Amino acid sequence: MIGMKHILLFLILLVSFQGMDAQVQRFPKPEFQTAYKVPTTVEPAPTSLLMEYVDVLVLVVVMSLTAWFIFKKRSRKGILWLSVFSLAYFGFYREGCICSVGSVQNVSLALFGEGYTLPLTVLLFFALPLLFSLAVGRVFCAAACPLGVVQDLVIVKPIKVAPWVQKSLGLFPYVYLALAVLYAATGTDFMICRYDPFVGIFRLGAGFNMIVLGICLLVIGMFVARPYCRFICPYGALLRVGSHLSKNHLSITPSNCINCKLCKNACPFDAIDFPVEEKENKATRTDFRKFMLYLVLIPILMAAGGWMMSASHRLLASVHQDVALSEIISKHPEVLLQKGNVDVDTFLASGMSLETLNKKAEVVREKFRVGGWYAGAFIGLVLGLMLLNEVVFRKREIHTANRSNCISCGRCMDFCPVEPTGGKKGKKK
Amino acid sequence: MEDKIRKVKQVAWISGVFTALVALLLLLNYLQLSGSEPLESKALTTLVERLVSEPDNQQLTGEVRQLDLLARKAYFNSIWQVRTGALLMLLGAIAFIVSMRWLLKMQFSIERPDEAKAPDKTTRTKTERWLWGAGGLLLLFGAVAALLSESKLSPIYAKSPLAKGLNEGVEQIEIQGTDSLAAGDSTALADSLRAEPEIPLNETTVKQQYNGFRGPFGQGVSTHTNIPVSFNGPSKKMVLWKTKIPVLGKNSPVVWGNRIYLTGATASKRMVYCIDRLTGAILWEGKVDKIAGSPASSPETTDDTGLAAPTATVDGKRVFALFANGDIIAFSHGGQRVWARNLGLPDNHYGHSSSLLTWNGKVFVQYDSQGHCKVMALNAETGKTMWNTPRSNEASWSSPIIATVKGKMQLILQATPNVAGYDLNSGKQLWTVNCMSGEVGPSPAFGGGLVYAGNEYAKLVGINPTSGAIVWESTDRLPEVSSPVYYKGLLFVATTYSVLACYDATNGKLLWEYEAKAPFYSSPVIADGKLYIFDTNGKAYVFNPGKTVHLIGTSVLGEKVYATPAFSEGCLYVRSSGNLFAIGKPL
Amino acid sequence: MSKPLNRRDFLKNLLRYSAGLTVLGVAGASLAKTQTKTWVWQIDPFKCTSCGRCATECVLTPSAVKCVHAYALCGYCDLCGGYLKPDHLERNTAAENMLCPTAAIERKFIEAPYYAYHINEDLCIGCAKCVAGCTSFGNGSLHLQINHHLCSNCNECAIARVCPSDAISRVSVDEAYRIKGSFGPTQK
Repeated sequence: MIGMKHILLFLILLVSFQGMDAQVQRFPKPEFQTAYKVPTTVEPAPTSLLMEYVDVLVLVVVMSLTAWFIFKKRSRKGILWLSVFSLAYFGFYREGCICSVGSVQNVSLALFGEGYTLPLTVLLFFALPLLFSLAVGRVFCAAACPLGVVQDLVIVKPIKVAPWVQKSLGLFPYVYLALAVLYAATGTDFMICRYDPFVGIFRLGAGFNMIVLGICLLVIGMFVARPYCRFICPYGALLRVGSHLSKNHLSITPSNCINCKLCKNACPFDAIDFPVEEKENKATRTDFRKFMLYLVLIPILMAAGGWMMSASHRLLASVHQDVALSEIISKHPEVLLQKGNVDVDTFLASGMSLETLNKKAEVVREKFRVGGWYAGAFIGLVLGLMLLNEVVFRKREIHTANRSNCISCGRCMDFCPVEPTGGKKGKKK
Repeated sequence: MEDKIRKVKQVAWISGVFTALVALLLLLNYLQLSGSEPLESKALTTLVERLVSEPDNQQLTGEVRQLDLLARKAYFNSIWQVRTGALLMLLGAIAFIVSMRWLLKMQFSIERPDEAKAPDKTTRTKTERWLWGAGGLLLLFGAVAALLSESKLSPIYAKSPLAKGLNEGVEQIEIQGTDSLAAGDSTALADSLRAEPEIPLNETTVKQQYNGFRGPFGQGVSTHTNIPVSFNGPSKKMVLWKTKIPVLGKNSPVVWGNRIYLTGATASKRMVYCIDRLTGAILWEGKVDKIAGSPASSPETTDDTGLAAPTATVDGKRVFALFANGDIIAFSHGGQRVWARNLGLPDNHYGHSSSLLTWNGKVFVQYDSQGHCKVMALNAETGKTMWNTPRSNEASWSSPIIATVKGKMQLILQATPNVAGYDLNSGKQLWTVNCMSGEVGPSPAFGGGLVYAGNEYAKLVGINPTSGAIVWESTDRLPEVSSPVYYKGLLFVATTYSVLACYDATNGKLLWEYEAKAPFYSSPVIADGKLYIFDTNGKAYVFNPGKTVHLIGTSVLGEKVYATPAFSEGCLYVRSSGNLFAIGKPL
Repeated sequence: MSKPLNRRDFLKNLLRYSAGLTVLGVAGASLAKTQTKTWVWQIDPFKCTSCGRCATECVLTPSAVKCVHAYALCGYCDLCGGYLKPDHLERNTAAENMLCPTAAIERKFIEAPYYAYHINEDLCIGCAKCVAGCTSFGNGSLHLQINHHLCSNCNECAIARVCPSDAISRVSVDEAYRIKGSFGPTQK
């Protein structure tokens, strides 16, 4: 063709933003003289939907089996091997996604957000472990959740975490839950997925930082048992509530506790409650006053929490894509002149006016302002209830598994020497 | 038993050390990769650039190919390495953990539970305190977050530099002000200041000047005569003078009386130059600075366009110049600043190119930016906006022309997708025809009652401006940068693929075409009844405009030419990339 | 002694069933916005600006995003904007003229003046250099798509998070691909 080179020469310089013109048939369809047939473009199919429902089925089976192992068979070994299976299946085979921990975000986005409908399988992943926990305790954590299992399996020499440390760190999962729901509901980000430390290990591929975080958590997990489950997992925050109210829960002893104290060091998660004598914990007048004070304090804490989170809405919203762009342009208008920032350049080429972008950012900020009230109030409520809980005296005469903290792993069952009425003696070295 | 323990201990040690080693190797690999991506090898890019300049260097070609292959291999190798390493690390870790647990299980014995437990109440009180501590920390975070948030409170949305209001930053400087007068030949300046007769402004006198891009009213036809048809730049044959222009620009020279006006700009400097037509001396250099609303930094433009692409325009009293950052300024013929303002940062990706046009006390500005298109008329004496008509089209790089349609003058603009005509006094749109596509560089032409507009990859049309009908269409030879010119029933189009084509202006039939050796960026213009056109290499072609091709002659300037020439009686002025030439017989 | 216990049990039961109802309630509310199909991620080629983030942001290496060729739209040009560098020296398959950094595009002569271009997906890293070239000087038949054999279908696509033109979105698994030529430019 005459002068094509010259066209191309000029076009080098003109190439800057032609990209937006994505469907311009510049050159006509060729007419082949030979018998050449234009090939069709292949579309490799995604994994079938059936597999997702199989996952739900496997989840139900594993949780039910765990319950059976806890109540009927009382076999730690069974739970252990079940958990290994879960790690292999949900972890390495299904690559840890979609998981119940993350499903909280999907549900939030579906309920409060726009433009997203929840797949049924995800809803089941969200609801089933919670319902099971109301029935039989945290069987999900014991053997079904691959994140929990991977931490469980690396426990080598667990140390005792003091109850005050455990409780105060235990506030964080609720904070994480509130933030995760807020961010998912506003369509900003899926925080739980972004900061999931173990999914990179399951996928054998992730960003450098996430892999390092995962490995660090596992190394810590060798000594502080299940750190993610106890101090970070937002879904665990919900399961704790379910397990606390559960109808049936794992019992250390098959029948009656004889207070032999042999299970003292059985639980790597410090989830065993020991007998408390009444006389050393007599409720005094101050205790009663404190109780009332804390009761009154709850709405104040909720209001304070809600107000503070709502007041931080600009800061919280600034990670949203549109808000971040709007802020950059507002703070540094010279980016509009310099080319090089891909996001700014794409925005300029899109033809959207700056006013529209700023309006979009304002909409997001408003969502955070409103949502912040709920999220902050929730955190305030949790703090208030936790404080209240500490003032309440609960008499305990036997060794029991703490209903909230116990993840039903079944280790303690092997320590208890009591024979089940009409059953076989528990194994012991 | 002891044996077993020892063996398991060994396994634990070996697997532990193995895992740690693999982890270290992977870490090193990552650090190395993050420093230098194999696929973005700087060495390779530099080599390729060298190759482009020395295409026949066989050894270099071989080197480039080898390096490219190595880079690709390195990339895929690294992926494989990471994958295998990860798998090995996983297996090692599993072995380590299993052996450790086994070990501890074998060494395990149930401890005697003898230590006294702290009273429950003390624990609970301590927990309370710690909870308050945690709560307090949260409160602190919340307060800090709220404070940081408050600082982002007032929407500090910058006033979009694209949405400048009207009449902002209009500056009036008394005619007596001399601060922008820079060095020139002071005697020549004094002489010309004294010797400049005032030329009355009417259609005839304007047609005798060459006061805008492509001549009077932008129609591409000059009435001057005795223009040389042959010259030679290197040997200085017929070269009257050659003046170096200090700051470069892609705009074309314009002539009024004995003065030629040019502009130039860099990212930090904008200048207007006045050159004496007879001697080539720079009479004055006008600095364009200190304009209210002028942006702090210049927009990015392509090299082809630059920051001073719009051509200046002149009326009897002033010269008006526009720059790519939106600065527009008026100087008197003597070099004093009359008024200056900033029209708002234009947003088009090559750089603002539409030239100015003036008539009857108004300066017309075609201001098409991405998303904000408009045409304005500014008061030539004060710079105030007289009318501002928004346009609904895309950014364009063409310039306006003025045509007399049915006895009335109108402003004709070309953009995608419309070619439109506007009333000069009110700015009202008189007609519009949807016929263009692509990025419009060429300006329209007018003659024989029709408006002609063309663009590469789109089409060339002849439009009847009274009825708005497209009379004819052609896709034979289309212009991309150069603008067509009408003369005596013929339409001349110059393309970037080195072809000059002649159409029958009444029906769009291609009459003849001429192939040159270099692209045409400069627009063809008629002077002395002949067609003059420069290709980018600086070769000038002179044709006799007629229904058959008749090349009178070619001449070589010796420098690259992108701008369109200007004329005065007996003389042709052409701007090359560094200089302004005057071609003509010495007077 | 039994009365307080009963009250406690009753309270606990009440709370338990309330919690259960809440879970079911939330599930029920979500059912209104539930579907049986699942979502997968896909790139809208008309929004894509070939920024290159698909190659770097995917959690997998190499990326699950691959370049796809819509043969029906291809012009089979000798001077392919997606195959040859803008400043190429000759129109051949030499390394110094190739745009693709991993040589994933194969150029085959069919008949004068047509050449066929085929993408080797094993080599493609999804960097979009060829897409940019084809879109700006060509028919735009080369475009990026997420290959669902490779994609992990993360709950939140890491590339979608940073796509400057919001070109990646959730699509129904039935219409998992948005290959040019098979749908219109404004399909949601």
